[in-house]
Amino acid sequence: MNGKTMSDGIRVAALDDVPEGEGIAIDRAVTGTDDDIALLRDDDGMVWALNNTCTHAEASLAEGWVEDGYVECPLHASKFCLKTGAVQGMPATRDAIAHRVEVLDGEVYLFPGQRP
Amino acid sequence: MSERVVVVGGGIAGVSTIAALRSGGFDGDLTLVDAGDFPYDRPPLSKDYLAGKTEIKDIALQPPQWYSDQQVRLITGSTVCALRTDSGAVQLGDGSALPADRVVLATGGRAARPPIPGADNQRVHVLRTAADADRLRTALTPGARLLIVGAGLIGAEVASTAQGLGCEVVLADPVSPPLAMAFGRDIATWLHRLHETCGVTTVCGAVEAFHGSGDTISAKLSGEEDSRSFDAVVMAVGMTADTGLAESAGLCVDRGIAVDTRQVTINPAVLAVGDAARIYVNGVLTQRSEHWEAGQHDGQRAAATILGAPAPAETASWFWTDRHGVHVEVVGALDRVDELVTRGALGEPPFSMFGLRDGRIVGAVSVDDSAAVRAARRMIDRQIVIDGFELGDPETDLRKLLRS
Repeated sequence: MNGKTMSDGIRVAALDDVPEGEGIAIDRAVTGTDDDIALLRDDDGMVWALNNTCTHAEASLAEGWVEDGYVECPLHASKFCLKTGAVQGMPATRDAIAHRVEVLDGEVYLFPGQRP
Repeated sequence: MSERVVVVGGGIAGVSTIAALRSGGFDGDLTLVDAGDFPYDRPPLSKDYLAGKTEIKDIALQPPQWYSDQQVRLITGSTVCALRTDSGAVQLGDGSALPADRVVLATGGRAARPPIPGADNQRVHVLRTAADADRLRTALTPGARLLIVGAGLIGAEVASTAQGLGCEVVLADPVSPPLAMAFGRDIATWLHRLHETCGVTTVCGAVEAFHGSGDTISAKLSGEEDSRSFDAVVMAVGMTADTGLAESAGLCVDRGIAVDTRQVTINPAVLAVGDAARIYVNGVLTQRSEHWEAGQHDGQRAAATILGAPAPAETASWFWTDRHGVHVEVVGALDRVDELVTRGALGEPPFSMFGLRDGRIVGAVSVDDSAAVRAARRMIDRQIVIDGFELGDPETDLRKLLRS
């Protein structure tokens, strides 16, 4: 981690808990945020974090399809950039909020409210 | 000189055209003319918007700021009444002219109103616009007796919403089961029965006549001796493409504006997209899909044509629908398959069904299991040969199957 501290991060999962191409939702009671946070693992193995509720309708992005740097909402298929939360296509029009994630020794640490 | 493009119609196809033009680097003048107050999304009109759970501002296709950010001139409450492409302009309803080197017709359509005797009664509704939904909502009071004619996607969604609002709903359709072409017979049958399970009365029959009498309207259904009385009726029997402008401009029209696979009409300066358009493929005028994403893809193809860019990659058709709390998605087509594979238990969501032909998936339907359809779409697009047994095993990870 080269000097990065995990002290303000929350250990939320083991890396193996998040299959490639899928996501898991971390409850807001754990993250202390307004929304649950989706941990999303791209097919290259990288883990990213976005607010879990789609900005368009009541849908859980953790249940979405994760591929090539994007998560596709399981309801109406709007895509969000995993890294930035930027919305890529309608019907959603607002970006998702992205949070910083670090992986250390196979453990996933979430930094709610911090930009990636 | 940079090009000037006018898009006529602010539905999903028109707004997608604009979005794709700007994201593709189009730097000319861009104008959107729409007859309504502000461009909105239609799918919620039969669901949350009809139920009164969302307002018109919540279903805007794009927020107001987007149009200025994208440098789009938005002209609302206005119609284009003539195309003058030979002189590089379109004429608006108020007589003024807008410069236009290219015009994209995204004029959509109207709800069909078949000539059933008595159907001009004010208790007979249709659902196509937000104004239609506003008017219908006032009729959907608890206990109101509602007849829905047509159990297609719109009819089924309205039945679900109205039932949720406490109406007594009768849903009539002469076809049994409705939507078998779209869902496959088994899932179509289950979905139609779900209406009954959830308190909607389904009737297999067509309406022969309406008769208004004071506070009620009676409907004579085929095969029934007596008329039934209702407080309101919804005709949900499809749409008619809005082709008047195209016809008066001399374009080729056959229940839709004929376009090539790049969305161009017989006039190279005029393109057409969405529910108003029909695409010639290999010399055959294809049926419109009339789905949301098809409109979006039309707009993206039209933008690529205007930009001189390669057409976007083709992908299997896809749509969603919601009724009685279940979310259904369909990709591809299930009407010509030689094997059907069920994943999970039919009738116990989540479950899905895949249609295979020559060892490849050609269509899939999911009920509360959208990942199955998203996987199937990629399998169709990539033409992957699939083992039906593996596909049907709920333990099989479809993402892994896709990669293998």
